[in-house]
Amino acid sequence: MAESDRHPFLQGLSKHRGAPPTVIVIFGASGDLTARKLIPAVYNLSYDNLLPADFFLVGFGRKEIPDEKFRELAAGAVKEFSRRELQADVWSRVASQTTYVAGGYDDRGAFDRLAAHISGIEKKLGREVQPLFYISTPPSVFKPILVNLGASGLASKYLGQPHHAKVIVEKPFGRDLSSARELNAAIQAHFAENQVYRIDHYLGKETVQDLLVQRFANAIFEPLWNRNFISSVQITVAEEVGVGSRAGYYEQSGCLRDMIQNHTMQLLALTAMEPPVSLEAESIRDEKVKVLKAVQPFSVDCGGDVARAQYSAGMTAGIPVPGYLEEPGVSPQSATETFAAVRLSINNWRWQGVPFYLRSGKRFARRVSEIAIQFRRPPGTLFAEGDRFDLAVNTLAFQIQPDEGSSLVLNGKIPGLETRTQPVKMSFRYATTFGSNTPEAYERLVLDAMIGDGTLFIRGDEAETSWKLYTPVLDFWRLKGKEGMDAYPAGSWGPKSADALLARDGYLWRQP
Amino acid sequence: MTQIFEALPGIEVPVGAVGHGLRSMWMDAAAHGRPAPASEDATATQVNLVLHLGFNTTTEDAIAQFETAARFSRRYPSRVVILCPLRDEEDAEHGMRAKIYGECTLGKSRDDTRCCEFVLLSYPLRQRQFLENQVSISITSDLPLYYWPHRFSNNNALADYHYLLTRSKRTLIDSAVALPESLSYPWPRPEAVHDLAYSRLLHVRQAIGQFLSRYPMDALCEGLQEVIVGHGANHPAEARALLGWLRDRIGLCGKNRAEFRTEDDSSHGPGSCSVRFVYDNAKAFTWTADLTQGYSLFEADYGSGRTIFCATTKLLVPEEALSDAVFF
Repeated sequence: MAESDRHPFLQGLSKHRGAPPTVIVIFGASGDLTARKLIPAVYNLSYDNLLPADFFLVGFGRKEIPDEKFRELAAGAVKEFSRRELQADVWSRVASQTTYVAGGYDDRGAFDRLAAHISGIEKKLGREVQPLFYISTPPSVFKPILVNLGASGLASKYLGQPHHAKVIVEKPFGRDLSSARELNAAIQAHFAENQVYRIDHYLGKETVQDLLVQRFANAIFEPLWNRNFISSVQITVAEEVGVGSRAGYYEQSGCLRDMIQNHTMQLLALTAMEPPVSLEAESIRDEKVKVLKAVQPFSVDCGGDVARAQYSAGMTAGIPVPGYLEEPGVSPQSATETFAAVRLSINNWRWQGVPFYLRSGKRFARRVSEIAIQFRRPPGTLFAEGDRFDLAVNTLAFQIQPDEGSSLVLNGKIPGLETRTQPVKMSFRYATTFGSNTPEAYERLVLDAMIGDGTLFIRGDEAETSWKLYTPVLDFWRLKGKEGMDAYPAGSWGPKSADALLARDGYLWRQP
Repeated sequence: MTQIFEALPGIEVPVGAVGHGLRSMWMDAAAHGRPAPASEDATATQVNLVLHLGFNTTTEDAIAQFETAARFSRRYPSRVVILCPLRDEEDAEHGMRAKIYGECTLGKSRDDTRCCEFVLLSYPLRQRQFLENQVSISITSDLPLYYWPHRFSNNNALADYHYLLTRSKRTLIDSAVALPESLSYPWPRPEAVHDLAYSRLLHVRQAIGQFLSRYPMDALCEGLQEVIVGHGANHPAEARALLGWLRDRIGLCGKNRAEFRTEDDSSHGPGSCSVRFVYDNAKAFTWTADLTQGYSLFEADYGSGRTIFCATTKLLVPEEALSDAVFF
């Protein structure tokens, strides 16, 4: 919305300080995500005075929970998981407007009760309130929730007005292309695309948003941001932890679905997209879709563009840890990959011939997410004489977590009479410069949805385009079972088959 | 002012050795195991903040402003330069003097160590023509400069500080402690002047803005005769700033004949503040607040019944107001 289109009494205030009266309804209110992320996000928004004065929180779930008990659970979640300590006066503002509605997700009557509950809030308040539905449930109940939101009229509430009903959908957005299409169809049967906010919390991270600023607000990078100057790009999303208590979910998912298809592809899209015509959500999302569509289909055979593996027993932080197949809840015959790597080619004017390497996995040597841009070596032979010159590849790395920031590796002269060179690293650390108490991704994203800004959310066609690329890989792996599944020791940097993906092109994986 | 310079924290160093002094200070801190910037990270600085203390500043006031700058700097690592002028007649024998001060805040991890550096310069007024060169080498080059003349009261002196006033991204004035007319001095770049009293009102503007945005502007403006901002003894400057904001907002209605004024009303206590819209019809809007206690009450009637609403409304604390004025 243009500044001049806002109510004059909101003009001049940050758009984030002008959220309309809102009721957030959380489906899956007693779930893990609600406790760990959503309730703390609401609390911190209240702490920062970013919630509208008329803000209401409604938990919805199958369990019968009295309002007071739900408030207690929510306060407990803030105490345990919030980045800030619970402050009584801040919490009491939220708690006084927090209620709970019990009901089944496939129970139409429960949704009518929810609709009446929201109407009751509005009646008491004397004004209309924007409904924001947060679907934080297992994917198996996405559809009945969407259907009942439609049937009860909640999905179409205030349609055509800025405070129309909105829905936030948590990943996964399907398991493959057909299920993604099915989910999109279910969503679109009841909600228009501008009502839908598909959340990938990676996009709420400051460093990811900073990528756009670094690329498009600095004149020094854009002229180099193409195949003439960049030799390759590596994107890593590595976890130090194993599957832990999530074996039930992970066995059905695997690394490609859990990480590569969504998080790393979002990072790829932001790294490789063309400059958008504006910072409007649709302009940015259009460019992301365009670049995803330019990604070439993978060669899925052994020795092709993909690699997968499971971690075997190893050592993490000095402690011996079991392999994936020995983890509780994992089938010894499991063919679920805990590591996946892909080699991507983007067939457009800017990137043709530049390989993009994506990898993600559990039980890596350390937890790290980064985008590393490797530049071509300078032409000529000035500094190419034998071992005299230790020249590093110029690498611009955006570290997303932990230690958010960026670094640039340059070559410098070692002081002395002779000309010797040594790589030097210039670093920028977010925490050192800005402090680490920055908003959590969910705070930003929940507030963005409240004010109707979809920039940091995934559009339906983005999700489908990504699934279109990865579904043949999943189909091939399903067909092959365990054939071609590599292994890597827990605490390492991945399997040899992934090294081979890069070795063919003369590159090595970074160990950031 | 000599007392102020003496009272503010820091180690005195020769004026020509400020840079060397800062490096030595951090090396010494690291050698003694105190928080210091990691050598490979150097100090990460976002902004330069020049706090220029006016002659009307007392020692206690100077320390309070120093502490505000320090708290701001913990959040936004800064190079802070504090200027302490000396009247020629009172400190005739003193030349320019410098002190340095630094502190690091430990966060959750080693990488979350944020450090800030202060350079304090005391100068006799007769040497003010050399001051700006000294400031220029005390700040971190290439980063934005913000100039905060505290208790600035002499518009004849504007020409003396041309460098600071033209190079700074913003000039920060607090109309609560400066003369009320200070905002309309012939500043070289009037658009860069920001009033800290206005910044302190962020949550008030947000609360009133959000409340009034429920009504169409036509309803708010039609028949509006008078807008009165009442205030207790503590908040005349905030009342003026709030009135200015309301005048701007109502002005967007186009033609309206409303009168705007502030009203000294301490009957509700020194921390009180209120807004009243007076109409020539049955419509009504009032907002009354106790900014010390941090609560406010809205009452409105625009034809669909009386609405009463309570809200938490506090002024921003000084370092938050400073960051709002600097960054927003």
